[in-house]
Amino acid sequence: MGGFLPPAERRSSALLGLYAVLSLLLLLTGDRIPTASLRAAGAWVFAPLDRLVLAVDRTADAWRENQRLRERLVRLELENQRLRGAGVENQRLRRLLELPAWRGLALKPVEILALSGEPVPVAAVLSAGRRQGVVEGDPLVTQDGLLGRVTEAYPTLSRAVLLTDLNSAVACEVESTAVLGVLRFVSTPRPRLLLTGVPLSDTVRAGQKVMTSGLSRRYPRGIPVGTITWTGRDPGGLTQDIVVEPAARLSRLRHAFIIPHPAPLEGAP
Amino acid sequence: MRSVVALLIVTVVTLLLRSTALTALAARGVVLDVLAFATVMWALRNRETWGASFGFILGLAADLDAAHWMGRHALMLSLIGYGVGRLSHTLMRDSRRVQAALFLIATLMHQAWVASFELGDAAAWPYLLRRVFLAAVATAPVGTLLVALVERVSGQSLSGHATIEPDPAD
Repeated sequence: MGGFLPPAERRSSALLGLYAVLSLLLLLTGDRIPTASLRAAGAWVFAPLDRLVLAVDRTADAWRENQRLRERLVRLELENQRLRGAGVENQRLRRLLELPAWRGLALKPVEILALSGEPVPVAAVLSAGRRQGVVEGDPLVTQDGLLGRVTEAYPTLSRAVLLTDLNSAVACEVESTAVLGVLRFVSTPRPRLLLTGVPLSDTVRAGQKVMTSGLSRRYPRGIPVGTITWTGRDPGGLTQDIVVEPAARLSRLRHAFIIPHPAPLEGAP
Repeated sequence: MRSVVALLIVTVVTLLLRSTALTALAARGVVLDVLAFATVMWALRNRETWGASFGFILGLAADLDAAHWMGRHALMLSLIGYGVGRLSHTLMRDSRRVQAALFLIATLMHQAWVASFELGDAAAWPYLLRRVFLAAVATAPVGTLLVALVERVSGQSLSGHATIEPDPAD
């Protein structure tokens, strides 16, 4: 067939064939190719450009956010007063029950430079890396709740996989009832976070908060994850299908916090 | 050399837009397929060889960013680049209707191909079909409007002016 085409068209057809073969080869073997170093180089190249593009957008947002934060600060100051009293009481009760004291979490602020994934972001490039003490596995949170964890740490940048990644799994518990489950993201029939592995006998209601349970080594206990919006029976009929709305707003991510090296399960209170 | 530099610049700008400005829209369910848009525009201007090359490079970069299913964007975008490049020989490249139709078809093809990797049971189909349809009907008018605006402001045709061959008899 190539013989019927002019030389220029033959060349372009051959080129297309080459691209198609390369693409198909990548589709078949791409998962076995180590691509972390390429992504690191890409993140390094794009980081200053991302900052530049986001600067205008973020300046305008920062002004509005400042107003909101001032209001929130006042509310939180009042709540803090109340919680201080509850904290003192909690420590006294823990001592009486001989439970270990609760340790606070250190937070390292980072900027989210870029997001990847459509329609729901599944990964983020962060503005801190190994030199800033970020290591693979560190949890990533916002002021609203859990976002994901760092999967690749480069010298000055890092890449985090969000809760919405298909391979993400977070050990969670339902607040106040301590019902345990594993939070996973499913893309079909529509994208949503599901709390899986909850037996039908456990009572779970819409509106209840979901938090990390601390049963996995990756996430410390008590980080807000989301709110239950719907419950039903899973197709297998053995467990419940529990839809969770994420606490962190994935549509508007600008800043986040890394929890550096959370205590492993054995040492955790 | 100039073409290679231009290709790299447009690739970087496209990926930047996709990972920054358009992510907030995408999270709200409106996917503007900037990859398909850029490939169509590049192929309209530079024909099939460069169209396929641009689609492949852009797609490969997008695949690398996604970290799953390497090659899926690259394959479809190189096909779109080649197809649009071939069509640009015969189509009225500066026609807004032609551009809108090409954006619509390219986005439909690209989004449908990407969605095919997420197909689970039949219950997922309505959502994915809606997503593909919405992306196409959003990208086509926005893309056409953007091209018209840029051409109006710059005074130059982005798709490359159709040249009229001088009549040898003249």
